[in-house]
Amino acid sequence: MASRPVSLPLDTEFGSSFPDSSFETRAFERTLAAPLEPTRWMGTRLRLLVVVALVGCLSLFLWIRILAQAPHIDASWARNAQGQLQLSATGDTRLRGFEGKALTGVEIAGRVEPLDALLLQRSPRWLVNDQEREKLISQWSRFAEALEHRDVRLVFDDGSLASVQPRARGVGGLGAMFWLLAALALVLYLVAMVVLLVRPNMRNLMYAVMSVCQAGNLAFMAAETIPDLGLPHGLAHWDFAGRIAFDVFTAAAIVHATTIHPREVPGHSAISGFVWLMAAAIVSFAAADRLPGAWWWTQGAAISFGVLGIVLLSWSYKLQPHPFAVVVRRFSIVAIGTLTLLTVAVAAAEGRANMQYSIAAVGSMIWYVFLASLLLLVPFLSRSQQVMREFSLLAGISTVATSLDLLFVAVFSLGQFASLTLSLFLSLGAYAGVRQWILNQMLGTNMLTTERMFEQLYRAAREVEMEPEKTAELLSRLLRELFEPLEVLRAERPAGRTRVLADGSALVVPVPALGAGAQAGSLVLRFAHRGKRMFTQDDARLTDRVVEQLKRAVAYDRAVEQGRSEERVRIAQDLHDDIGARLLTLMYKAPNPEMEDYVRHTLQDLKTLTRGLAAPTHRLSHAAAEWKADITQRLSAAHCELGWSFSSDRDIMLSVVQWSALTRVLRELVTNAISHAQATRLDVEASFEDGGFTLRVVDNGMGRNPQAWAHGLGLGGVRKRVKQLGGDVRWSENPPQGIVCRVHVPELVPRR
Amino acid sequence: MAVKVLILEDNPVARSFLCRVVRESFSDTIAITEAGDLESARHQIGLTGGPRGVHGADPFKLILVDLELPDGNGMELLAELAQYPSTKIVTTLYSDDDHLFPALQRGADGYLLKEDRFEVLVEELQKIVRGQPPLSPAIARRLLTHFRHGSQGEGSAPDLGFAPPSSFTSSRPVAIETPLDHERLTPRESEVLTYLSKGFTIKEIASLMGIKWFTVNDHIKSIYKKLNVSSRAEAAVLASKQGLV
Repeated sequence: MASRPVSLPLDTEFGSSFPDSSFETRAFERTLAAPLEPTRWMGTRLRLLVVVALVGCLSLFLWIRILAQAPHIDASWARNAQGQLQLSATGDTRLRGFEGKALTGVEIAGRVEPLDALLLQRSPRWLVNDQEREKLISQWSRFAEALEHRDVRLVFDDGSLASVQPRARGVGGLGAMFWLLAALALVLYLVAMVVLLVRPNMRNLMYAVMSVCQAGNLAFMAAETIPDLGLPHGLAHWDFAGRIAFDVFTAAAIVHATTIHPREVPGHSAISGFVWLMAAAIVSFAAADRLPGAWWWTQGAAISFGVLGIVLLSWSYKLQPHPFAVVVRRFSIVAIGTLTLLTVAVAAAEGRANMQYSIAAVGSMIWYVFLASLLLLVPFLSRSQQVMREFSLLAGISTVATSLDLLFVAVFSLGQFASLTLSLFLSLGAYAGVRQWILNQMLGTNMLTTERMFEQLYRAAREVEMEPEKTAELLSRLLRELFEPLEVLRAERPAGRTRVLADGSALVVPVPALGAGAQAGSLVLRFAHRGKRMFTQDDARLTDRVVEQLKRAVAYDRAVEQGRSEERVRIAQDLHDDIGARLLTLMYKAPNPEMEDYVRHTLQDLKTLTRGLAAPTHRLSHAAAEWKADITQRLSAAHCELGWSFSSDRDIMLSVVQWSALTRVLRELVTNAISHAQATRLDVEASFEDGGFTLRVVDNGMGRNPQAWAHGLGLGGVRKRVKQLGGDVRWSENPPQGIVCRVHVPELVPRR
Repeated sequence: MAVKVLILEDNPVARSFLCRVVRESFSDTIAITEAGDLESARHQIGLTGGPRGVHGADPFKLILVDLELPDGNGMELLAELAQYPSTKIVTTLYSDDDHLFPALQRGADGYLLKEDRFEVLVEELQKIVRGQPPLSPAIARRLLTHFRHGSQGEGSAPDLGFAPPSSFTSSRPVAIETPLDHERLTPRESEVLTYLSKGFTIKEIASLMGIKWFTVNDHIKSIYKKLNVSSRAEAAVLASKQGLV
């Protein structure tokens, strides 16, 4: 398909326009138009994506291979009361008999290197104390070095020696947790690459940096979950430096991304430059072991960068209320909040070695999984990912639970069981109670009530039926109520179906052409819920259903109206033909002129009635012309002069009721003037001004004292019909001779 | 020699009433033939030289046709009598343009509303015979659209069912031939029609246009004639298109 020039007349007929609307407009055009980019570029990127995915899989495979090939002693260890490393079980025949004894060292090249229970600790990243970390890393290295040999001699506390031969662990021995974390890392990596390759720009690059860093974190954590002592030789030192780098760089990338998206904040390059510099400094010092209190530095950098990101998002929202900023800010607040809680808990539990090691490891792992799930959510904010949302919520709550557990143990010195129970209880309570609120806050799904929406929908359908050319306006009013967007634009170009555009900040809704005079087009809604919410795929589907219901309601109304009008025409025909012919015969056979006139009058009323039934509306100017012609003829037959004046400030369509009421009122008044008052001159002034209708009928007949008139059928009818129109009628004497009748209908049509 | 008049009306009471109206209206000796349905009316017309009015025969000078008849619509007879040399008047209860306009197109020289008083009917009948046909605002409006859009558009009777929507005039192909004179109104005639459509009386129109009232009448007569001619031409075109001729 050839690319064609796109012209999209967007008028800001309703809704305020934003100074930088052009951004979203361009996005809208891009999606509406035929693909402008040559397909070759697409093909290149697709191939690149395959290559990148292969690289990811290969790396993971390599990682698995390194870990599976690492030498390993088939034994499980535990910490005893003295802080020693105790052999609790073994599958190795040579170690049989050593169960219950504590391992004190390993013999390397004739020298015994001491070992203790610290070796059980799985993550140097989460050790608060520098000395302890250094000791752990050196023990890890020594133990891994010892395992490199064919024959390993283990020294136990009672002085006995055990000689074992380490064997490769094998792929099967990596444990379920490893596979789960490795899979999550791979998914995160692939999503990051897809996002980057679909639209390679700075903010997507930053997203890729965050995601790849966290994927690396997950890979290391997967290695740490393997039930063993330490890591394979060479990985021990890299674990610490790598994980610090991943964390700090992720935080820096978050800050960088928030300076440029959803909009660039002033001085964005200075801010991001400073943050990157800081991150690089921390990482290089930590890697060179020249950073005292490395854990504190890392946590401090991560938390302060996170807070900076939140501040930047708030600033950006103040500059331009983009819903992305609000949603991501909520995510960040939750992530940073839980991280702070975890940090406080780990710091508070420092020194209670047996507690801290296990819970810090589990708590931090859960927090990373939580962060990874949030990262996975970000590119799909406008698509509703129910499962993913629940998962990340659960991960967040679990982080809170473990942190609380740790805190209770540290601060209140509760027993481990009691604190675990208490924290689980509290967290589950929070989950149950706050879940809905959190979900609403995360995506802001406070909608109109169904009842109210139906009401709106049917009212809109009524109005569309009346004025099909206003479909777009009415639909936009309906959608305004539904989504409270900051602005609604109208485009001439019809859209196929409802779509979410520009990261969920805009929604394109097709406007159906309902009836004659209506034009198909589309509406662009920007920034749902006054810029606090993003449009989701659910919103698009809901909108599609609303439009569909509107179409149906209008079609139904139209069918009903057509049926009614056909029925009316048929009734009119029957009345006219049957009753009309009988009345005519009756009139010809009337015994006296009064009776004849009476029947004639009835016949004329019947004709007015049937005509009103057959035609739904009458133009005021046409009606006035007919009134005049009719009155002229009647008065000339009665040898009465007519003074006629009619004025209107605009022409309107009279409804059947209005037309027949006015016609019959006028006819009755003229009849009165001729037959009862025997006037020789009649002045009729009719005027329609500012929505009100005034009629003045002045005769020079012999009528007197109108207050004393008996309101018979004729005048009673006049009163009734004027009242029907919401007006009033007054008769008064017109000195020297005659009667003035004034009919006033203040609102024949509603004022504009 | 008596003036021959045919009254086609199914209601006997109405028929005798119309007889009285006709006798009252003219000073000549009147020979009235009454018919209760289309069948007998056709028979009577056949006796006087057929629908085309053979020269030498003694045709009806005046024919009153009711529209609603037991064996059909009076409109059919009007169409058959297009060439018949007589004054043809529609008598009806329907005063709206939807019913009257097609009758005028089929060659009626005027119409009488049956519910009018005796004196009014007499006066109206005399006017028609003298060449002062009635023209209500609604019919004037209808005539204006008819002539503005050319004879093949709005002018056709709704029951023929081939009228294109008149709102699409702008996209109509332009005719190469200029329309014939009988398809166009003179500016004066248009003016008269416009005033009539706004409810002005003939006297008022005369003073507004600064002409004599009988000149206004001449214009109205001319409009009637043009409507008949254009409708007849159009009917012929339509008939040849449909292979009827």
